[in-house]
Amino acid sequence: MSRDEGLLPDLARVLNFIGLLAMIGVLLGAYVYQFSYRELPCTLCQLQRVAMVAVAFGAAMNVMFGPDPRHYGVCLVSALLGLGVSIRQSLLHINPYFDTTTGLPTSLATSNPPFGQPVMGLHLYVWGVLLFAVVILVVGVVQLFKGQFGAMRSELDRLSGLASVGVGILALLAVAETLTTFAECGFVDCPNDGGWNWWLFG
Amino acid sequence: MMTVTYGLLAAASVLLWRRVRWAWTLVMAALILGIVIFMQDVDFSTNLGIQL
Repeated sequence: MSRDEGLLPDLARVLNFIGLLAMIGVLLGAYVYQFSYRELPCTLCQLQRVAMVAVAFGAAMNVMFGPDPRHYGVCLVSALLGLGVSIRQSLLHINPYFDTTTGLPTSLATSNPPFGQPVMGLHLYVWGVLLFAVVILVVGVVQLFKGQFGAMRSELDRLSGLASVGVGILALLAVAETLTTFAECGFVDCPNDGGWNWWLFG
Repeated sequence: MMTVTYGLLAAASVLLWRRVRWAWTLVMAALILGIVIFMQDVDFSTNLGIQL
């Protein structure tokens, strides 16, 4: 085994499984936040969740079929979209003396309040910037180890049935997100007021 | 459009769970839709000059 083959396919699958569970945890956390604070996600918040589901999907492909540069590519493209959206939302709220309705500076610090409640001192879109940056960094570093892209040995499969369970949870979560998004937005633009106004329930 | 985006992701995830290899193409379609929604939300015609 050469030095750059230190990360074997089965170990890379386990790492991707951990990454998949981490993304599922973040998405579940956003769901709990949504219902506990009774704040429906805005358009940009929804787009960040879309990117998180897509990042988790890339990791899930590595778990199901074994590590492949194309699967990591899905993670990177998704994380790039999520990073762009979360940076955009952070910049929208970075200046409290800016009235977003008129596009003009004001003397009131309340003209541009942050969206939603902070979690551990940071708002969710700032956490989004950090999360997507970390995903890009980690995926970039993991791809340096080319030994993982070799054939997998079935006797070393540490995950077994857990892989299907993890991907099944991701699928359930994506279906649930589809249903709640339909209830919130229908097939029109999502509301951006951060309230509790469901499209389906009037 | 957001509901359709999530629908594509949900369909892709269920297909992946069934070990269908081309499921990733649905994710790419969802990401393209996401970029379109993002571009609409940015509203470059009124915001670009002020915020950038």
